[in-house]
Amino acid sequence: MPGKCVVFSPACITFSLAMLFELNLKTRSLNPCLEVIPGHSYRCMELNLTRVPSGIPNTAQTLDLSFNPLKILFSNYFSSLFALRFLDLTRCHLWKIEDHAFWGLNNLSVLILTGNPLQILEPKAFHNLPSLQRLIAVEANFSPLESLPIGHLTSLQELNFSHNDIDSLKLPVYFSCLIFLQHLSFQLNRITSISVGDLDALSSQNLTLVLSRNDIKYIELNAFAGVHLQQLFLRACFENSSIMQASIQNMSGLHVNSLVLGDYRNIRRLESFNKNLLDGLCNLHLQEITLIEIKSLQTGSSFSSCINNISMVRVVHTFISEAAYFPTNSNIDQLEFKDCQWKKVPAEKLSSLKKLKVIRITHNKYLRGFEVYFTGLLNLEVLDISVNSLITHLSWVHLLEGAPNLKHLNLSFNSEIHLKIECSGPAKLEYLDLQHTRLYLPGTVPSFLCLNNLIYLDISYTGTNVIAECSFCGLDNLRVLKMSGNFFANNQLVDNFRNLTKLQFLDISNCQLTYISLSSLASLHELRLLNVSHNKLLGLHPETYMHIPVLTTLDLHNNQLAALMEEDLKNLPGSLKYLDLSENLFDCSCSHVSFLQWAKNSSTLLQNVKNMVCHSPVDLKNVQVLDFDLASCKISTATVVISVSAVLVLIIILILGYKYYFYLYYMMVLFIGHRLSDEKVTAYDAFVIFSSKDQEWVKQELQEPLEEELPYFRLCLFYRDFIPGVSIITNIIKEGFQTSRKVIAVVSSHFLESRWCNFELEVAQSWQLVESKASLILVVLEGVDKTVLHRKLGLFRYLRRNTFLMWKDRDFSRHVFLRQLRSALLEGKTWTEEELRLVLKK
Amino acid sequence: MKAFKVVPVLLLLIYTAASITRWPTHTICKNNNLEVKYRSCDPLQDLALGVDSCSYVPGIVINIRIATILRYTINELSVDISLILNGQTIPIYAKQLCEQNHPEFQFCGKKKGEYIYYEGPVSLNMEGIPQGEFNISAQLFNENRNTVVCADFFIRNR
Repeated sequence: MPGKCVVFSPACITFSLAMLFELNLKTRSLNPCLEVIPGHSYRCMELNLTRVPSGIPNTAQTLDLSFNPLKILFSNYFSSLFALRFLDLTRCHLWKIEDHAFWGLNNLSVLILTGNPLQILEPKAFHNLPSLQRLIAVEANFSPLESLPIGHLTSLQELNFSHNDIDSLKLPVYFSCLIFLQHLSFQLNRITSISVGDLDALSSQNLTLVLSRNDIKYIELNAFAGVHLQQLFLRACFENSSIMQASIQNMSGLHVNSLVLGDYRNIRRLESFNKNLLDGLCNLHLQEITLIEIKSLQTGSSFSSCINNISMVRVVHTFISEAAYFPTNSNIDQLEFKDCQWKKVPAEKLSSLKKLKVIRITHNKYLRGFEVYFTGLLNLEVLDISVNSLITHLSWVHLLEGAPNLKHLNLSFNSEIHLKIECSGPAKLEYLDLQHTRLYLPGTVPSFLCLNNLIYLDISYTGTNVIAECSFCGLDNLRVLKMSGNFFANNQLVDNFRNLTKLQFLDISNCQLTYISLSSLASLHELRLLNVSHNKLLGLHPETYMHIPVLTTLDLHNNQLAALMEEDLKNLPGSLKYLDLSENLFDCSCSHVSFLQWAKNSSTLLQNVKNMVCHSPVDLKNVQVLDFDLASCKISTATVVISVSAVLVLIIILILGYKYYFYLYYMMVLFIGHRLSDEKVTAYDAFVIFSSKDQEWVKQELQEPLEEELPYFRLCLFYRDFIPGVSIITNIIKEGFQTSRKVIAVVSSHFLESRWCNFELEVAQSWQLVESKASLILVVLEGVDKTVLHRKLGLFRYLRRNTFLMWKDRDFSRHVFLRQLRSALLEGKTWTEEELRLVLKK
Repeated sequence: MKAFKVVPVLLLLIYTAASITRWPTHTICKNNNLEVKYRSCDPLQDLALGVDSCSYVPGIVINIRIATILRYTINELSVDISLILNGQTIPIYAKQLCEQNHPEFQFCGKKKGEYIYYEGPVSLNMEGIPQGEFNISAQLFNENRNTVVCADFFIRNR
């Protein structure tokens, strides 16, 4: 086979690729679950699975298999998933769990079996779960507790058996082993009576026991005697007041930190709650009682004296008639009324509770104001009248007179409060929350003048318009100021915070600020957090950062910043750890390349970088600032370099062109002009090139003998035949070379020195090549230095290869010279008729 | 008569597989003046809902019956009711029904997978139902904004 494979290797590759693809597809189909955190958390909810999908890796810690028809958990059902910590088997149609079903799940801490019709739990069903802390088996068809095989789960902290069929609170002996148990819920079961000994097995004293919605008919006397509980819920447990009264009487001896008594809004069984009902509480040891959802609390002349020894009383969702009186000499120190339909703060009645430290009156829809202020509550430290509908003129003097030690005042989420400027000496108030309550006067007058000890002030969204410079005068110890959603005069922050020198936290977000002056933050040397988000700022003054040296958090998101300037970046405090610049109008053009570069290098400092997107230029809109390609700016510098160098090259070419103009012209003529030469009429027999210094010689020795003696020749001489007004080069080419048959070069020492002559000679040589005939006649004059000739190499070479005429100032040699010259000129000459006639005449 | 009302409610509880994305429309009330239909907009399940009266008199509370199986735990539960007008959603009512610490209703704090049946009064605080045809969307969601119940109502009032 391998041999075959070599032969058909392309087919083999295709085949193996196909196999790989199919394998990949298969593994995907094996794991149809949602990978919440890869390798860690998987969600397989409602996928019609009948078993654990094999694609779940053994590193998975969280597995949600809810709403799948698993039906039966066999032994070793989850053995491969030994890392599991959280297993959700809600509504898996489970009716049977076999022995060792959870074998191998040594780390499992949460097991959810809600909504399964469990019928058979084998005795070792829950074995091998040494770490199980929470077992949630709501609506799981559990009945007698004794039969549940959970006694060995000693790590259990929470057992939730809500909505089952458990009919007795008789806790089996194994509960004495569950020493870490903190939460035990039997809500909505069928417990009808509680007897002595039922709770004997409880070993934990830190337990929260939920018995709500069991129809309890009878509690045996001392059934709870000696039992210690953290919290006990008894909501909607008693059919009527008499059963409840008898039951509470019989619960004597119970030690419970917090007792919750009452009904639900849609299950109201107790008609009213009277004094006698609470009299039974005298025999219980309570720290805290919550009375919830009682139709009405008819207290008659006063509350039961049995609540005197309870330190915290809370009444929730219950109507209390305004005629109620509270017991005097009570030990109640915390009192809370939530949604009790008060119309006014019952300050007069509450003033009798001299030991009160905390009063909370919240969520009363119709509560509009104080009837009077509190009097004589020397211990009161916390007053919370939030989430009501208060419309009031608050008098600091009266409020703090009756409660001089008040430290914490919460008036948030009310309708309208007018704060007068009043002062009766320094107040002890440290915490003041007025958020989302419409405020009158703060901002225009120094309303907080007396609150010298205030540490925390929240006036967010109170419609405050800060006009006066002294709005915050008096708040010399303020550390936290939250005032988002307010206004500043002209939308500018000026010197309003000058005296807040101890401020550490400042929130002025959403204040429509367009400008923050440098001096406004200059005195806030201890500022750690500054939130100026959701404003319309173009930036902060760069020197601002130098005045706030310990700043750790700066939130500038949702402003109109285009970029941080280099000076800003330089001045950013070194202590800065969190900087949010998202949702600004960033300009991602290369002019801000230093900011963009800085942003890329500061990803640990910058928060919410996903929303840091470019606003301009248009083609980069909504691109993340950190994704900006810095290289694109470098390319543009390269193009600048290229274009500059191109311009330079062009200039050089122009300079060279100017300098070597006639060479170029001559080359042009060579390549283009000579084609036209045939058409030109040959006007001259020879074009004489010579140095102007040899003009005399030319006149005597060439012009006279050749033009005036027979045979007549016509010479082209520059001093006579060149057309004036035309450039020399044009004359040389057009008048000289193109219209002459031969070229006579008069080589003298002047000739060799002249650049023009050399040029003409070169043109003549090239012409000779192009025309491919020996039209150049060289005349070397007497006295030409051989060494100069040598130096002018080109000429020397030429002379070596061509014949040339030597002229010597002697009669005989002059005669020979002329003869030779004439015969050279005669070669190829065509005579016109006129010329012939002239010759014959002679 | 009562059985006649309860049976369809229970039948609807037998939820179908998640592959069905659009649930059938149910009529909960129809007479000469008023017609109310609804459809579940929860991708996971249909919803059973009924009312005891098909006429609306201002000031009188209406008893409704609602049953569902929870897909999410409701330690907190909030309701949003909005009017759908030309494809736009206009919020008209929002309230937190269940809070973590001191819940008012017995169904608060129920666990994922638990069955809920609520039969009780609902006050609409309305002078009357406006004339005409309109759509209303009601959504209940938990503390993590997971949809617990979602229904679109089609109301026709002549």
